[in-house]
Amino acid sequence: MRRSRSTEAGATSATQRTAAGGRSGIGRLFPRLPILGDLRLGRRLGWVIPVLIVLVAAIIGYNARAIAQQRGSALVVYTASRQRAFVERYTTDVLLVVDGFKADPEESGEDVREPVDVLLDGGSVRAPQGGGRRVEIPPARDWRVRRKLEQDRRLIDQLIRTGDGLLDGGRADPEYDANVTRLRVLSAQLSSVSNDAVREITQQTEASLSRLVQIEIVLGLLSALAALAMGLLLRRAGAEQAAQFRSLVNNSSDLITVLAPDGTIAYQSPSVQRVLGRRAADLVGTALGDLVHPDDRHQVIASLTKLVEAPGATDNFGCRLQHEDGSWRHVESICTNLTDDPRVSGLVLNVRDVTEQAALRKSIGDLLHNLARRSQGLVDRQLELIDELERNEADPNRLDELFRMDHLATRMRRNVENLIVLSGVDQRRRWSESVPLRDVVEAAVAEVEDYSRVQVAGIHDLTLAGQAASDVAHLLAELVENATSFSSPTTMVEVSGGPTGNGYVLEIEDHGIGMSDAELAEANKRLAEPLAADVAVSRMMGFHVVGRLAARHGIRVQLRHCWFGGVAALVLLPAVLLGSAGERPAMAPLVPAGVMVSPEPLLVAKTTASGWQPRARLPLRRHAAPAPNRGGDTDTAAEAGEPVE
Amino acid sequence: MAGTRARRRWAWALALVLAALALAVPLTVARRQAPTPSGTPVNVLLQDFKVRMDAAVVPAGTVSFRLLGQGPTTHEFIVVRTDRSPDKLPLQPDGLTVNEEALGVELVDEADGLDIDDRQTLDLRLAPGHYVMYCNLEGHYLGGMYAALTVH
Repeated sequence: MRRSRSTEAGATSATQRTAAGGRSGIGRLFPRLPILGDLRLGRRLGWVIPVLIVLVAAIIGYNARAIAQQRGSALVVYTASRQRAFVERYTTDVLLVVDGFKADPEESGEDVREPVDVLLDGGSVRAPQGGGRRVEIPPARDWRVRRKLEQDRRLIDQLIRTGDGLLDGGRADPEYDANVTRLRVLSAQLSSVSNDAVREITQQTEASLSRLVQIEIVLGLLSALAALAMGLLLRRAGAEQAAQFRSLVNNSSDLITVLAPDGTIAYQSPSVQRVLGRRAADLVGTALGDLVHPDDRHQVIASLTKLVEAPGATDNFGCRLQHEDGSWRHVESICTNLTDDPRVSGLVLNVRDVTEQAALRKSIGDLLHNLARRSQGLVDRQLELIDELERNEADPNRLDELFRMDHLATRMRRNVENLIVLSGVDQRRRWSESVPLRDVVEAAVAEVEDYSRVQVAGIHDLTLAGQAASDVAHLLAELVENATSFSSPTTMVEVSGGPTGNGYVLEIEDHGIGMSDAELAEANKRLAEPLAADVAVSRMMGFHVVGRLAARHGIRVQLRHCWFGGVAALVLLPAVLLGSAGERPAMAPLVPAGVMVSPEPLLVAKTTASGWQPRARLPLRRHAAPAPNRGGDTDTAAEAGEPVE
Repeated sequence: MAGTRARRRWAWALALVLAALALAVPLTVARRQAPTPSGTPVNVLLQDFKVRMDAAVVPAGTVSFRLLGQGPTTHEFIVVRTDRSPDKLPLQPDGLTVNEEALGVELVDEADGLDIDDRQTLDLRLAPGHYVMYCNLEGHYLGGMYAALTVH
């Protein structure tokens, strides 16, 4: 009854570390998309995704640039177009002042100069709808525009000079008329140049925007091409993945079956042809139960019925499925309820053909069983011989030695019987008559070396079904042996019983070192789910044997902590195995009920009045050596005297 | 085998490029060639605010005005037949542009949209007489942008 969970945990964590550290290259740069899977398409898509990102970034950048340029161009056009109004206002102001009206030609002259200066040299202008906010305008770069603006500036200088002459000379100046005409002509020329500049700026803006639009169209087309390429690659990836999946499904030795909630086959992988010799199309629409062996059908239906009520749950079960030729194939199934997944809407069964493994396991079991049976025969003959010697021996010392031999032979017989149990062959003796439960308990105690430390008390006057008597005695012997082996020789092991609502509970309590929570959970798991015979089972034989014996008769065995320390093993005997004392033939009690088993030599008849043969007599026993730890194989631990953990 | 295929591919590419050049070059040259002047050539420079011509008297017949805009302002080139002095053309009511429909002024032809470095050729059959060439954008004529031509 040893465990090596630490080694398994270490192996698991190592596996996880390997899996986690397995990604490299493109996998680090891009998250592993489900569609990429194991096809390693990340490398193929690697050039498309950056190109697409660059193109999208370029489009965004050009858009931003176009918007900024359009806004700037609009401001430039607005600034240039305002000049005409300023020129007209200046001209009017000059003439008004000359005619004696109030005006400010100096200020309007500055206003005339400002737009040209800003357009030529760069600067800030008041935004038309900016609430007084000023916006920077870069200097004009095009040589045509600059020449027009420079001409504009020259004409403004002439205009201002002419205006100054008019303001200085007034109407009395003989050049007054000529200056007025010159002022108007310059004003007209300025308007002409300004309009020209505005037209040029507008044309250039339109040309620039047109180029931006063309570039954006090209970038958009390239983006579309990149997206198309990515789409094609993804489509190809999907096709490859689908082909790979089909190939895996078709060539897998496993069957993949999708069951509708009513148990009919909604999908069947083609590999069923290889495993069961049937065509997948023929199975779709039929009931899975029709393929299952009649002996397994109840279990399969029970598992599926339980599973169909729990979406997302998974269950394992084994059964036999009928081949097309009529033979039966052993399979192991993992079934997952995916009824909530709209892509599946059913139960997914992954079925593996384990017929060869089952045959091999049966062969090994038979071999184990045959060897054990031979050993059992020899041990039985040895016990008979020892028994005969004991009967004829009067010397107490020699008798004591004979009893020790008797005890060792009894333990050997239990080991052999353990092997038979683990071999899976059910050839135990069955008794038709019921057996007193107390007899069974005491017979189990009698098989334990330290029987003198075992106190049986409170066992009710019930009978146990004959077919279960040997197995229950064996089961109890293992548990009692475990209790005595893993507790101090100065403490007692108590066996008691009590009725429950659905049977009878036997409780074996020791005052030993106890078990940790993890150990207790592991042991209970082994008791509830005994594994097939393998190396691990050989190391934890006791719990596996108990689990198997219990499973034969629907008995539940569970370990729990005792409040005073140590461990209590609870054995729940189902009501179907029990009967009242009046239902059985009278038989002589092996040991008085409710009393401690006597340490004195005590020979018990091998056959009771009911015909049931106890597994052991109660010879004179000695205390076993102190056992160090609980949870190991009692025989190995006790005999080797070494720690079991 | 692979080398032969590559060479053949290069040969095809070269042939295509040569064919494209053979088609494109003549078209480009033909497009850029100015039409051969069929009449008396007169070179005209239009600049702010002057009209300069390399001839003041030409024989009657076809006259080819080779116009070159020197800006910086965009200009137009209007030819009118008139016996008036070039600086005495009648003006519009705004006083800034020439009235081309006034008595004594006969519009012959015009070219417009001559920006900096723009070139145009205006072929006119001119009968003997006096002609004035000017730019009629606002203020240009009054700024002195006109010239006279005598055809005999």
